[in-house]
Amino acid sequence: MKKTVEEQMTALLTKYTYPPVEVVIPILQKAGRGDEELASQIREIDMSVLSGTMKILNLKEKNMRTVSKMFGVILSSYGQKYEPVELSETRFCLSISDCPMLHVGKNVDNAVKSRFCDVLCSSTAKAMAQLVLGKEGSCSWDKALIKGGRKCTVAFELVKTK
Amino acid sequence: MNYSRNVLIVILVGMSLIASFLAWRNITSPTDFADLRIVLTTTTTAFGSLLGIITAGLMFTHGKFSELASELGEKSPDYLSGDLSLERVQTIGNNLLALRKTFSLLETQTAVEEERNLYRRVVEKTSLMYVNLAVLSDLKLIQQGLVQTDLMISAMDPQLYVDYREERSRVKKEWQILATAKRIVDTWEGSRTLLLEKGEKRTSLHRDLRESISLLGLKERLDKNSNVRTETGIIYNQLSENLDKIGKQLRQDRIHQLLSQMENANTIRGKYFYLALAFIATPLFINLLILPQLSAGTASFFQPIISITSSLSVIGIAFLLVYINRILKV
Repeated sequence: MKKTVEEQMTALLTKYTYPPVEVVIPILQKAGRGDEELASQIREIDMSVLSGTMKILNLKEKNMRTVSKMFGVILSSYGQKYEPVELSETRFCLSISDCPMLHVGKNVDNAVKSRFCDVLCSSTAKAMAQLVLGKEGSCSWDKALIKGGRKCTVAFELVKTK
Repeated sequence: MNYSRNVLIVILVGMSLIASFLAWRNITSPTDFADLRIVLTTTTTAFGSLLGIITAGLMFTHGKFSELASELGEKSPDYLSGDLSLERVQTIGNNLLALRKTFSLLETQTAVEEERNLYRRVVEKTSLMYVNLAVLSDLKLIQQGLVQTDLMISAMDPQLYVDYREERSRVKKEWQILATAKRIVDTWEGSRTLLLEKGEKRTSLHRDLRESISLLGLKERLDKNSNVRTETGIIYNQLSENLDKIGKQLRQDRIHQLLSQMENANTIRGKYFYLALAFIATPLFINLLILPQLSAGTASFFQPIISITSSLSVIGIAFLLVYINRILKV
């Protein structure tokens, strides 16, 4: 019996699981190192998840629409609510109301959360740009959630080449 | 369903307030002997009618409970000979013990509280699953008339054995075999979605293990001298394969729904049994104690008691509405 897209996505995300940030951050903080190792592990997981998602959804076009579809399916599979804000040929912007960093202990400083937020998001952005667009891409976010806001806006865009 | 429940609660509270108000008015206003006699007779009749309905409901709920119990009882031998075969039970048991040993050691080796909590959760859940599995294994041997082995029990430490004895003493009926199997699968699967869990929600062993394996992967990159991740990964895959099969079969046979319906019926049966007792006791109290003593001279003395019993019958109607609502959900 053929599995549904939802089942295939669940199996994919089960196979490639992120280390829990609420546990990882205190460990790396205590060790005083490991940011690079975490970034490379996240990128490997992202590459596997993204290529698996492309296969499951049978996505072949290398453009921003594909990026938006992939973000949508992956976030939905995590049970994450999101809202697309902007979509053009060079930029995709979405708003989210939850992020793993929110589940990190209150005793962890916001600056540390912000640093790890950078590590995680730039790894994902690199993987997405490399795999889906085959070009250089960048990701920016306002980190509003860790500052106490209700929503965070994430923008993914192509790097302009001169 | 929530809406109708809220409406019923509002009705219940409203009726209680009205009844209390009426009782208070009756107490403070003069009422003659003939009126009180009519109130008492009406109250007794109301209690009698409500008792009749409650008894019918209780019988219905009990019938439903027995029906579900026999349906589950019929299914359990198939499970014990198929999905819960001795070989599979023993493989799962060995995997759980291996995980428990590994994660107990990891727990003692870490100084980071969050990491220790993650490993402790794995140890607790593997222990719980092992205990339930040992109960299943014992029931299986009894049901199939096989020789009892202490294989699973001998691997237990004293605390695990105490938990096992306690769990084993709870399982008396045949249908509880499936409830035990469901508890094992629930501990493993937890929530079926990959939601980002907020707060201190209970996580599944499945999720805790996946996260632990990923975390051990990161630690391997940092320390480059650990092989715990590979071993845990192999055990996780074996466990996953075996438990997913059991879980799939339980869902196909709607065991989760059947057990939840049984639990519902059992709660209603227990809770409203006491309500029925109250509805038997009150009319008896009226007929045996109040009515024979009631006369023109004692009317004013009995008036507050009569007011309370009559308001109780009104509250009883409200309870009955809630009761019917619960029965319809079974």
